[in-house]
Amino acid sequence: MAASVALHVLVIGWGLVSFSTRAFESHPEESVTVDVISASAFAKAGMKTGKKDNPKPLVEKVAEAKPVDDAVGKISEKPPVVTETAPPPTPKVEDKPVEKKPDPPKPVAEAKPKEEPKPIEKKPDPPKIDPIAEALKKEEKKPPPKPQAQAAAKPPEPAKPKAERVFDQSKIAMLLNKQDPTRQAVTGDALNSNAALGLAKGAAADNSATWGAMFKDQVKRCWKKPDAGIDMQRVEAEFAIKLRKDGTLESMPVAQTSPTSSYQRVLLESGLRAIIACAPYRLPAVFFEEWKYFAPVFDSKEL
Amino acid sequence: MSRQHETTSAQAGIGRREVLLGLASSAVILGSAQRAFGQVRVPITGESAPIPIAVPNFVAGTPADGEVGAGVAQVITNNLKRSGLFAPIDPAAFIERITDSDRPPQFANWKTLNAQAVVVGRVTRQGDGRLKGEFRLWDVQTGQQIAGNQYVTSPEYWRRIAHIISDRVYEQLTGEKGYFDSRVVFVDESGAADRRVKRLALMDQDGANVRYLTRGADLVLTPRFSPSTQEITYMEFGQGDPRVYLFNIETGQREIVGNFPGMSFSPRFSPDGQRIIMSLQQGANSNLFVMDLRSKTTTRLTDTPAIDTSPSYAPDGSRLCFESDRGGKPQIYVMAATGGAAQRISFGDGSYSTPVWSPRGDYIAFTKQGGGQFAIGIMKTDGSGERILSSGFHNEGPTFAPNGRVVMFFRDPGGSSGPSLFTVDISGRNEQRVPTPGFASDPAWSPLLS
Repeated sequence: MAASVALHVLVIGWGLVSFSTRAFESHPEESVTVDVISASAFAKAGMKTGKKDNPKPLVEKVAEAKPVDDAVGKISEKPPVVTETAPPPTPKVEDKPVEKKPDPPKPVAEAKPKEEPKPIEKKPDPPKIDPIAEALKKEEKKPPPKPQAQAAAKPPEPAKPKAERVFDQSKIAMLLNKQDPTRQAVTGDALNSNAALGLAKGAAADNSATWGAMFKDQVKRCWKKPDAGIDMQRVEAEFAIKLRKDGTLESMPVAQTSPTSSYQRVLLESGLRAIIACAPYRLPAVFFEEWKYFAPVFDSKEL
Repeated sequence: MSRQHETTSAQAGIGRREVLLGLASSAVILGSAQRAFGQVRVPITGESAPIPIAVPNFVAGTPADGEVGAGVAQVITNNLKRSGLFAPIDPAAFIERITDSDRPPQFANWKTLNAQAVVVGRVTRQGDGRLKGEFRLWDVQTGQQIAGNQYVTSPEYWRRIAHIISDRVYEQLTGEKGYFDSRVVFVDESGAADRRVKRLALMDQDGANVRYLTRGADLVLTPRFSPSTQEITYMEFGQGDPRVYLFNIETGQREIVGNFPGMSFSPRFSPDGQRIIMSLQQGANSNLFVMDLRSKTTTRLTDTPAIDTSPSYAPDGSRLCFESDRGGKPQIYVMAATGGAAQRISFGDGSYSTPVWSPRGDYIAFTKQGGGQFAIGIMKTDGSGERILSSGFHNEGPTFAPNGRVVMFFRDPGGSSGPSLFTVDISGRNEQRVPTPGFASDPAWSPLLS
């Protein structure tokens, strides 16, 4: 009897003690003041490189109006770049036709005009072949850049998870404490070295909403979308284009779409004309890594 | 190294073959992934817009060809502009004067004008008296020649060269077949409203080269082209009953199609040109009959106590649409070309008449009457997708361009005035008046001449 009483007391007592100790063990967490900010703003807050420089700050963060300021700032910083690059684009476009055609035509003009339809058809072929061949060559040459770009992009990814862990517990608080001066102070060239902004999911930075809209606005000015008539199925015409930092085309756009209808062919050709006609493009230099190689997709959808 | 690799593979329980397979499949994945993930897709949408194009005067092959060279450029410009799909650039703005049509133009000069394409060409009167026309279509941005050809014809047909070139340019840049090298037969009307003289007339689709086929002594109505464009069938109301006639454009000969008691009217060729389908009057009713032009045999297609008229074949000849008031009001019906059960396809408010099947096969154009207005519209061949293209006091008699993209019809404003011809895109946009010497009605568009 006494044994059982003692046992009960022991068990109950142990239970009480253990419960109470557990309860006591839970540490009340320190209260931390938190601002609710968007995911993208948060990602940029991670860029600690921004110091309290007043000239740079706030240029970057605020959506679309900012990039323009940024671009302006850059232009003023690098006037020589703009002036050097601006001249080349026009000469280049002109040079191709001028170099290729003036020379052959004269002999051709005398010899071929009197010939039958064939000469007319023959002439178009060589020029057509040339650009394609060039484009292919260039494309073959380009692949290396892609892997590099990917390789460059990948390293940061594995690194990110680690950063994330550290981030959550201590750095967030530190950051938050410093927020006022620095959270939006990501600016200038420093950004390029921190291209991997998307820490949360380990994805590459995607600011295409910003520069893509800028590209679209510019290329649309040169795009004469062919009328699809009524009941035409919606089709797309996709290109891969490579741009230099000054916004000029590094090579001829490469069609990624094989047209399956005559309208799609015409859409593709109209897109090609538009891309060439509207170059060079003014896009934010900070995102150059993103827009140096991308895919404009012309959509037949009627607005 | 390779041995080490093999050892590793073996240890992992993976054979060489599997490794190769794996490499192959990963290569495939990488290949496709590169496009899917390597590049950001930037979607671009926009409103369709006319294509800016420059058509400088064609170079004169001989000093005497200057006028024709300018004429060809003018006709091409006019065709492209009227289509609504092109925006020809005013020649006054041209920087470069083309003197050699075999040399590429200086593209910078045309880029400045925002031209997307330039048509250059030359016309030359040859030693044999014939006229040769050549053209090249240049893409200004890429500097490529994207079309080019040459044509030879009698000098008086220089406009046809211009129309054929227009068609090539249109097709190259819009993706659709052109329709400029075609004609229109119509009823030319002249004189006071109560004493109208109606003559059959023929012209190019742009209103040029008008030619009268009848003298106007008798009333003529509903002319229709044969697929060969060499013959026209129409109804003529002379001394007796209205009759269906066949008219040969080249020879000027005409003959009555069949010899039926009562009226025969509303004729149209079958797509193979071997038969004529028409309405024959039977008392207060009329039914559809088809007559074989070779054997002269006539076959009845409908047998109803109603007025069946305005038959028109589908381009493949398998079906036909027609107008019938068998349901009370005139409506559009579709049935097999051999007759049989007909299916009503028009169900909107008002009555529907003069159906005509598009050469493209996708739509049926009609005249719709209701609410005190006459409208021109189109609907799909099952009756869905009705779309009114133009409406007003009196619009009637639609006919399709050879590419099915444009509809021509006539409009009568009422009063002491008379009817005129108009074209409109099947989207309802770009309505244009077709120039005719006098009043004009009942147009019928020919197939392409070449």
